[in-house]
Amino acid sequence: MQTPAISILNLFKEFPVPFKREPLRAVQGVSLDVQPGEVYGLLGPNGSGKSTTMKIVLGLVRPTAGSSSVFGIDSRLVQSRENVGFLPENPYFYKFLTGLETLLFFGKLCGLSGKSLRERSMDMLERVGLSDAADRRLSGFSKGMLQRIGLAQALIGNPRLLVLDEPTAGVDPAGSHAIRELILEFKRQGLTVLLCSHLLEQVQEVCDRVGILHQGRLVAEGRVEDLVSQRNQTELVLENASPELLAELQRLSLSSGARVIDKRHPRTNLERFFLEATQQAP
Amino acid sequence: MHPQPAHSWFSARRVAALAHNTLLELIRLKVFYFLLLFALLVIGSSIFTVNFSFQNPLQVLKDIGLGAMSIFSWLLGLLCTAGLLPKDKEDRTLYTILAKPVSRFEYLLGKLSGVFLLLVIAVALMSVVFAGVLGLREQQEIASVMQSSPPDRLAADIAAVRAAAFQANLIPGILLILLKALLCSTLTLLLSTLASSTVFTLLTSVVIYLIGHVQGIAREAWMSGADSTAALRVLAGFVALVFPDLQLFNVVDEIAVGTALPALLFWQTTGFGVLYIAVYFLLAQVFFSAREI
Repeated sequence: MQTPAISILNLFKEFPVPFKREPLRAVQGVSLDVQPGEVYGLLGPNGSGKSTTMKIVLGLVRPTAGSSSVFGIDSRLVQSRENVGFLPENPYFYKFLTGLETLLFFGKLCGLSGKSLRERSMDMLERVGLSDAADRRLSGFSKGMLQRIGLAQALIGNPRLLVLDEPTAGVDPAGSHAIRELILEFKRQGLTVLLCSHLLEQVQEVCDRVGILHQGRLVAEGRVEDLVSQRNQTELVLENASPELLAELQRLSLSSGARVIDKRHPRTNLERFFLEATQQAP
Repeated sequence: MHPQPAHSWFSARRVAALAHNTLLELIRLKVFYFLLLFALLVIGSSIFTVNFSFQNPLQVLKDIGLGAMSIFSWLLGLLCTAGLLPKDKEDRTLYTILAKPVSRFEYLLGKLSGVFLLLVIAVALMSVVFAGVLGLREQQEIASVMQSSPPDRLAADIAAVRAAAFQANLIPGILLILLKALLCSTLTLLLSTLASSTVFTLLTSVVIYLIGHVQGIAREAWMSGADSTAALRVLAGFVALVFPDLQLFNVVDEIAVGTALPALLFWQTTGFGVLYIAVYFLLAQVFFSAREI
């Protein structure tokens, strides 16, 4: 059996609260595994323990009890981060650095140097569509550009696991779409992705499996299709169907004991409509 | 996928990257503008001493220059170090850096090294300005002596002016000024790993700086006084251990009058400073490692 990319076992995290005897229990007995090559969505309302769990995986916070490992290495050890790229929510980098300097800096922290570091940095800038902004300081970057440079720095060390915290927060639909396409590309390349997001529709589109946290507990987990499909219902989408055919189908359904619950024209989603409209505009 | 090299617990390259980045940050924050004040003060003093001083003007200039260098380097280190950790935490760059294979020890050492580099550059620049102004004044003094001194005393008078100007014996004194600034910066870093606000770090660091300058005198008074109690002696010992005796670094008065700093005293003071820097840094590392970020 393959070593899981992330393995969390019976994790607890308590934070002391000033002037109170009872600590804040941010994570309570969470256990989950993320397999290599999987895109896993960690969902939950604010304060559900998503960020704390993620910080424990990254070794930024120590668990009160339980364990977390990345590719079999204890998260508390620095070497567990050799294979990890992290994009924090609303990333703020050093604004006095240019796009290229930012990647050179983070690349050095990942052990890269010399010509290979420079080439990798330029590749990453191109991959996230920021080649033109290589020499611009980050203080002049838009929110979407910051998010993309954040993704580039997360990828600079050639990680096997990407941890993305709200990667599309505050980004316009076009930027959000571009980031989602990148996540799908990572998936095709076999990277493991742990994605924390509030945008459920987006999670549904890119994730293989999701876990839902509520009040520090994992209340649901499974494959996206299994969690959202309604097994006793079937969708049938027809093109150019005549009213007579539709009436006949309805009659057949009733005669065989089935019930037609809804009949409507399929809709595109608003994001796709927005992208088509803005791309077609002169 | 590229194969990953085995992780080493300490990497000088990672520390150098962090130090370079910290230095770049401070330079681009234009902290060196602060040194313009120093230049103005020294140049202003040079003019002032020509017109108003009744003492040897070169000696007064050395007093003011070295004193200003001591204050400016301390202040620069204090202001640059106090905000380092809180700013990285507030901007969340700390998370991005520590999510890389970087230990907290490397992070802290890199940050402090960046400030140290800045202080070395700053003290070097101040020394250049100081030596330049002193050199100009020396030339003016020699020109004045050549006009006014009788021929039989001319050589002796010129030699006296040169002896009062920039001499090699000033260099150990300047190095101790730098060491004091490095020590105070490390102390400020230690305080910032404990404190939750930059203002608290700044104020506490200033108070300790003041204690560090008077503790030698206080200790002497407490220990030698007739009414010295055991409790007072323990308190004096505790203060002497926790807070460095910064008065030891104050050699400006001696070297300004041309006295060479004894080599033994220089190395003893250097050893004392390096020891305190190491202890303060290790304590900062202990507190920073234990802290939830």
